[in-house]
Amino acid sequence: MNNQQNSINNKVINKIKSGNIKMKPKIYFVLRTALLMLSILVLVLFIVCLISFIAFSLRSSGVWLSPAFGFPCIKMLFGSLPWVLILITVVLIVLLEIFAKKFTFVYRKPILYSLLIIILVVFLGGFLIDKTPFHSNLFWKAQEGHLPGFGSFYRDFGNPKFKNIHQGVVSEVINNGFLIENHRERIISVMITPETRLPSEKIEEGDVIVVFGERDNGQIEALNIRKTKRDFNFFPKNRFPKKGFID
Amino acid sequence: MRQDVSEETDEEIVRLIQSGSFEFFDVLIKRYEAKIGRYARKFLSDNEDISDVLQNIFIKVYRNIQSFDVKRKFSSWLYRIAHNELVNDLKKKKKKTLPLFDLDVFLPQHLRDNNLNERLELKDIQETVDKCLDKLEIKYREPLILYYFEGMNYKEIADVMQIPVSTVGVRIKRAKEIMKPILKSLKYNHE
Repeated sequence: MNNQQNSINNKVINKIKSGNIKMKPKIYFVLRTALLMLSILVLVLFIVCLISFIAFSLRSSGVWLSPAFGFPCIKMLFGSLPWVLILITVVLIVLLEIFAKKFTFVYRKPILYSLLIIILVVFLGGFLIDKTPFHSNLFWKAQEGHLPGFGSFYRDFGNPKFKNIHQGVVSEVINNGFLIENHRERIISVMITPETRLPSEKIEEGDVIVVFGERDNGQIEALNIRKTKRDFNFFPKNRFPKKGFID
Repeated sequence: MRQDVSEETDEEIVRLIQSGSFEFFDVLIKRYEAKIGRYARKFLSDNEDISDVLQNIFIKVYRNIQSFDVKRKFSSWLYRIAHNELVNDLKKKKKKTLPLFDLDVFLPQHLRDNNLNERLELKDIQETVDKCLDKLEIKYREPLILYYFEGMNYKEIADVMQIPVSTVGVRIKRAKEIMKPILKSLKYNHE
């Protein structure tokens, strides 16, 4: 045993002396730690943006309000969630947990705790970003063709189109209905029938409404209408592009 | 003439090596060779394998020594490297190793520290544990070895295995529960 020990000692020391083994410089480890921290920061910011973007796309399409229309719409909400983006978010959260586990104060505690803290932080961040005009400004830039790189992403995911849920600003009250403007088609006519369930408050020009009902040839036969808050950043005044609307 | 560092702490010797006196590295090897060898022997049986793994462990320690924070405990850091090296070696040999994901690590556990009596009967317990080690899964075997044979506390074991501190306590407790019937069958009376 002693011989074996001596031989290991000698082998290692000889390799060091001969220069076969080199000590990695301190700067290597400093940079590695800095890179890890930077990756964590970038990941957190990216996830926060993604979560706020998902919330934005749900609000922009009106799908967010669909549970208020009853069970069939809850089912529709489930079916119309942006699952690809949600899956990417989940994968990135797992990746963030793996990175964070490199730190002593993280791995010494059960994964459940660190995971809950990460989820809380990114959702809180996402919620706060969603309260700013960040995504709506980018969305409008994309619609006007002024957002290179992310333009198609915002146009495709930012305002998904659904068959039964429509959101828009009332531009005109007409006989047995309204005309509403939205980001995509600009004007859709909403028809009220005896079966339509209306909100208790009167609908006026400039109100933002969400309409549940099938659309046919630019006309919706409304089954249910809800008034929603006018989103200061989502339906800004004079922001509908006048010409060359990009769809 | 080489400075006498026999009285110096591990961390002080590492500090000297980090500042360029690599000749003191053999002091660390001499201090830990037997201990790490004993630790490796609990997982590997072939002497040549053990020798190779030991060499690789000390080479890795030397290569990465600048990453060691001298305010922390050197032995925990060394055992962490040894743990990784052993896990990699077992993986290469396609032997059963630590699972990628374990519910023990995910959920919070009630931490129960071992009582003082157990510490007082350390020699007895070491003999007992030694008889059953082969029959335990690695995830239970390793914390038991580190606790009873290497004298580490839960926090140090958590640092070596990079698992939650409470999981260490739970695994040691479960390991003991698993050992009970084995010891009975060996007609070894331990309570």
